[in-house]
Amino acid sequence: MNQTLVTLDDLSVGYGGQTVLSGISFSIARGGFTALLGANGTGKSTLLKTILGLQPPIAGRLHLHPNAGGNRPVFGYVPQATQFDPLYLLSGFDVALMGTFGRVRAGSRVPREEKEFAAHCLRATGAEDFARRRFAELSGGQKQRVLIARALASRPDVLVLDEPTAGVDHAATHAVMEFISQVRRDLNIAVLLVTHDFAVVRRHADHVVWLTPGAVLQGTADELMNARKMAEILEMETD
Amino acid sequence: METLFHILAPDFLLRNSVYASLLVGIACPLVGVYLVLRRLVFMGVALPQVSSTGIAIALSLPMWLGLNVSAEQGEGHALPFAGSILFTVAAILLLAFMERRGRGVPEGRLGVSYVVCAALSVLILAKNPHGEMGLLDLLKGEVITISNADLAMTAGALGAVLVAILLFHKELLLVSFDRALAVTLGKRVTFWDVLLYLLIGVTVSMAVLSVGPLIAFGLLLIPALTAHLFASNMRQFMALSVVIGAASSFFGFWLSYTCDLPVGPTDVVLLGAVYAAGWIAARFLK
Repeated sequence: MNQTLVTLDDLSVGYGGQTVLSGISFSIARGGFTALLGANGTGKSTLLKTILGLQPPIAGRLHLHPNAGGNRPVFGYVPQATQFDPLYLLSGFDVALMGTFGRVRAGSRVPREEKEFAAHCLRATGAEDFARRRFAELSGGQKQRVLIARALASRPDVLVLDEPTAGVDHAATHAVMEFISQVRRDLNIAVLLVTHDFAVVRRHADHVVWLTPGAVLQGTADELMNARKMAEILEMETD
Repeated sequence: METLFHILAPDFLLRNSVYASLLVGIACPLVGVYLVLRRLVFMGVALPQVSSTGIAIALSLPMWLGLNVSAEQGEGHALPFAGSILFTVAAILLLAFMERRGRGVPEGRLGVSYVVCAALSVLILAKNPHGEMGLLDLLKGEVITISNADLAMTAGALGAVLVAILLFHKELLLVSFDRALAVTLGKRVTFWDVLLYLLIGVTVSMAVLSVGPLIAFGLLLIPALTAHLFASNMRQFMALSVVIGAASSFFGFWLSYTCDLPVGPTDVVLLGAVYAAGWIAARFLK
């Protein structure tokens, strides 16, 4: 049995006291790949922000279990690449290096070994060739590789990806997702993926949480993504 | 050239004003980088005006309380600095809090703050017999004399701002660039935000007190925007902003002294010319 890192127990999430989503219960275990599906407006991003600690839950419990080091689990967050302001004059390396800041004391310089580790993560994600270029000028796929490298540089227990392949072509999507699966196996970390891409979920996820208006469905990709079930769910979303 | 040597001479009457201008020319662009990056440029317009109102109120307070303040006592910067920093920091924290809540029109709030504070400063000074003794000149951007004690206070405050920004650049940049990442890495985001706002508040207060609100705004905004045209990384961005700010402050002072013009408007026009030249040069270089 893999170690449980995060448990959501009858959790309700929302903004300013307004509940967007309620009654959510599932666990994220080391080595697992959980996909979070749902139409726009069903509360995927709100749930993700709550799990990451960016906003408090409205009700229920979010339990973060200690990792192997006895600390709260580290989240390696990969946001959507389009959200960053191009005014910042940061290279791909600068962005990836930020992943190490959690281990560097405030006011201290980033040690050389952390810089080398960030460079190693960029190499691992295939971002080494364009790491010295301006982050804002990279393509969508290149930015995603840098952001995944940044998340890995944080030495995460849980890799959290918010639609990492949005705006990325099919070939790049395939390469990015294969890499993420490989990293999950190699480093034995958990993956929590928010996506609209059914093909990606079918191929990689071992647990699916599907947010529909009025119900949170859970199961394996095979259980939820067969033709009959999908027709039912899509009908619920249309209604 | 002769004027240049005259300004640099140790016995130059306004030498402290030159030093203060240089200090402001270094500190304002540095915090201005963060205002530009966080797209808070309009805050750079409103805050110097809020600061001026704080100064005007602080200078009028003894009169309102019926205390007898002589001209000599009124020349010190401690009371105006307290008023300036109190108003500026309160305003920046309030405006930032309202922005975080995401309601209303942020530009509207900044516009209202600017225009109300500008009007309030004039009204308060109109009823203050000491208002003519320096503060109106300061608000108009005229050269004013700065005592050694005031220069030391300016140097101490702005020096502390420079050290804090350079020391915590990593944290301030992380929180500005990607708040969500900072939270997931366990950083105390609110603490770093408040620190940045305090640094901006102290810098604006000292700048307004030393050189006036017009040039404070000019130095917060224009060097950073000009440097952004040419810099290719954050280090260059900050260094170039500081160089442009310091050089414009010094040569603006020299120009105003030579041509007998008010320092504030001269500096700002010079900065504007540097920005225009930089914009054209950047077009040719690309």
